[in-house]
Amino acid sequence: MPQNEHIEQHQRRHGHKPDHWEVQRKKEARVHKNRSKMAQKLFGLKAKLYNKKRYTEKVQMKKTMKMHEQKNTEEKNDDAIPGGAVPVYLLDREGMSRAKILSNTIKQKRKEKAGKWAVPVPKVKALTEDQMFTIVRSGKRKKKVWKRMINKVSFVGENFTRKPPKYERFIRPMALRFKKAHVTHPELKATFQLPIIGVKKNPQSHMYTTLGVITKGSVIEVNVSDLGLVTPTGKVVWGKYAQVTNNPELDGCINAVLLV
Amino acid sequence: MVVYNFKKIRVVPPGKDFVDIILSKTQRKTPTVVHPQYNIHRIRKFYMRKVKFTQTTIHERMSAILEDFPRLEDIHPFYSDLLNVLYDKDHYKLALGQLNTARNLVDALGRDYVRLLKYGDSLFRCKQLKRAALGRMATILKGNSSSLLYLEQVRQHLSRLPNIDPSTRTIILTGFPNVGKSSFMNKVTRAEVDVQPYPFTTKSLFVGHTDYKCLKWQVIDSPGILDHPLEDRNTIEMQSITALAHLRSCVLFLVDVSEHCGYSIKQQVDLFHNIKPLFSGKPILLVLTKIDLVRFEELTQEKKDLLQSVADEVHDMMGLSNITQEGVANVKQAACDKLLEHRVEIKMNKTGKSVEGILSRIHLAQPEKRDHRQRATFIPQSVTDRRNDVMDQAEDGAPSAPKRKTVKEIEDENGGAGVYQHDMKKDYLLKNPDWKYDVIPEIFDGRNIADFIDPEIEKLLDELEKEEEVRLEEPEVNYADDEIYIEEEDEDVYEKIMSKKSIYKQKQQLNRRANNHTILPRKNRPVDLDAIQKELMDRGVDKETLDRVRSRSMTRDASVTTGRGRSLSTTGRSKSTSFERARSVSQQRVVEEREANPVSAKSVLGKRKRSLSTRNRSQSATDKLSGLVDAKQQVAAIKLGHKKQRLLALAAKRGEADRKIPNEMPKHLFSGKRSIGKTDRR
Repeated sequence: MPQNEHIEQHQRRHGHKPDHWEVQRKKEARVHKNRSKMAQKLFGLKAKLYNKKRYTEKVQMKKTMKMHEQKNTEEKNDDAIPGGAVPVYLLDREGMSRAKILSNTIKQKRKEKAGKWAVPVPKVKALTEDQMFTIVRSGKRKKKVWKRMINKVSFVGENFTRKPPKYERFIRPMALRFKKAHVTHPELKATFQLPIIGVKKNPQSHMYTTLGVITKGSVIEVNVSDLGLVTPTGKVVWGKYAQVTNNPELDGCINAVLLV
Repeated sequence: MVVYNFKKIRVVPPGKDFVDIILSKTQRKTPTVVHPQYNIHRIRKFYMRKVKFTQTTIHERMSAILEDFPRLEDIHPFYSDLLNVLYDKDHYKLALGQLNTARNLVDALGRDYVRLLKYGDSLFRCKQLKRAALGRMATILKGNSSSLLYLEQVRQHLSRLPNIDPSTRTIILTGFPNVGKSSFMNKVTRAEVDVQPYPFTTKSLFVGHTDYKCLKWQVIDSPGILDHPLEDRNTIEMQSITALAHLRSCVLFLVDVSEHCGYSIKQQVDLFHNIKPLFSGKPILLVLTKIDLVRFEELTQEKKDLLQSVADEVHDMMGLSNITQEGVANVKQAACDKLLEHRVEIKMNKTGKSVEGILSRIHLAQPEKRDHRQRATFIPQSVTDRRNDVMDQAEDGAPSAPKRKTVKEIEDENGGAGVYQHDMKKDYLLKNPDWKYDVIPEIFDGRNIADFIDPEIEKLLDELEKEEEVRLEEPEVNYADDEIYIEEEDEDVYEKIMSKKSIYKQKQQLNRRANNHTILPRKNRPVDLDAIQKELMDRGVDKETLDRVRSRSMTRDASVTTGRGRSLSTTGRSKSTSFERARSVSQQRVVEEREANPVSAKSVLGKRKRSLSTRNRSQSATDKLSGLVDAKQQVAAIKLGHKKQRLLALAAKRGEADRKIPNEMPKHLFSGKRSIGKTDRR
């Protein structure tokens, strides 16, 4: 015991108050009262957090209780009933099994699988032009309105050279240019951050594909050389398609599923 | 000098709490209301602020943690080694490093999202971005929860470390477990280290302080060490090794000669030889403990030789027993002296040339001699005798002169307080020692002896009696008759005065009872001319003189009135008042009339009073207007005055200086429900 643990030292020397354990027991028994008092008193954000915490705790508790119950429940199992002549004292006994737990876990697993690996986005919501672009006014009197700034996340290749700014029709802001995507391999069930090679297809329009705009449902080509995937012929694959599953402009990152 | 105090490190919240703290702070300290119809710039700013705020808060918290924890390179090697032993340097650095990385990640994240927010075109999008940003920051924090947890534990342990100053005079106790290190520590200092009869009671370094030669000495009690290679040593042993290796100190190597600790002398001596490299360049003392069980002389020759071999190396061997306290003080003194000598030596060597510099600092001041007289110290004979006795006693080991017993000791011998009572009369100082135990009666010869305590009481009594006699002889004087002496002819007047006085008094009392209102000062009270006249006549002023005086005053009044006749009419506010004034001029006459006709007097009274007041006002008005040239100017001045006063009058002010607010918050305007109407219209 270190030198400065005064409380422990004192307890070791002088012990506890005579009613210490009694007090402790009562305090413990009062816990639920204090909790409910707290729950009634709190409001606003604190209440939200508190209730959330309590809720998860309760759910967890109920789940574990159920698990324990399941362990103990015995089910009838007709197959296990012994056939043929059975002595009287064994007549009432029927085959029991605890197979329920197993089936439960299987169910759980199946559910997880279904939840996690849905097909990549099959349908997308159409975007109008004014959602896609903002109009940039130009000219000395700011009356020319032919310039557009792209509002969505875009990919700009390494060797892209700008036109003279004056004549540039579509502006892709630096802040909205992305180079990397979080790509999930559906079979490996793992996510990697991979560099983007290009935009293969934007379902909204061909023009967006050429501009390299990435929206939900776009198919992008990613560099998978780090993953070490190999073709049946034995070549190392380095480019693969992936479909974007989120709205990058809302999330600030690109999530995609590798198309295998 | 660096002071190593690790108690000030702030609490490191665990990952989940950290997130809660940060997010609720953001919620509290940033605006919370935003609407989609707001200008987009405003919306963007709103969310950017949130993101930025969260990022800076995290940054600050993280930086605080990183700053608070000591950097192992910067602290004294003793501490850095101790921390390494206790918490594992690699783990420690890794944890701090991870926090640093997390801080940078959060910063980068914040920057990125603020940039993205600049292009947010709707409230929804901005909100989503903010949400993503805060979520990712929270994720980073949660990812570091294990290192945060570790650091919190380290913090708690660090704050409980003993406060060891590596630079001060230090004595380290070392040796096998259970040889009596902690017992010695408890004897020498007030540290109150736990002492138990089993090995490894002391599991960490303990520090205590002791005084010697008016200096503070730090005594460090280290856990016992076993005799095996460094790699096999556990954390507990490593702590004492660290202390031995890094602290410049005097080492007390304790050897249990009784072998009650479970290790033979041979093993203990082997240990000494094994860890000898740690003692290089330090003063060492070989201390034999538990000599109350076995004395050095009683050991076998073999063991003696072993110990002697060590003693030859360290030049010093002492014995002590913590139970009988034998040699404890000696060991302490020897250790302190040795260390002090050593330190001085080091200082001399280190400073080299500047030895004189140090020595010159030590200056013993001697007072200059006044004359050639010898002024030797004076010690009373009794003191020298006593001192000699004590010296003899110390030499012989047997007391030559018995020490005087204190009353307390006598009491304890005879059964303690309550059983034994000390004889108070024994030490009485009386003329005759036989009187000591004489009983003093309370009543003697029928008198209370307490009355005769004063030795001069007889004399005083005599004096008092004498004075009384002198007083009695003096002639009697009747003071009562002498007070008021009135001649017979004045007796009438006197009686009158007295009766009048009593009447006045009664009147006054009646009055006070009848009209229970505030008493006006005399000058503001209305003048009752009748009363005055009556009073004067009662006092003996004859009517003619009275009339004469009154007529004179009347003519003066009239002259004044005619002189300002015009002005009076201008000051008038209405015809009725001017009419009153006219009467006021002739008030004296009214008085006379009333005298003639007492019935009408009452009816006139009210008007008269008013007229009096108007007269006063008109007079004061003339005073004000006295400096003006003509009537026109006067009119203008009066008009101006009225105009000036109108605002004040409207505000119910007494004058310009009246700043009083009678009721700051009228209750009826500030309380109750406000469903209908406004605050001031209800």
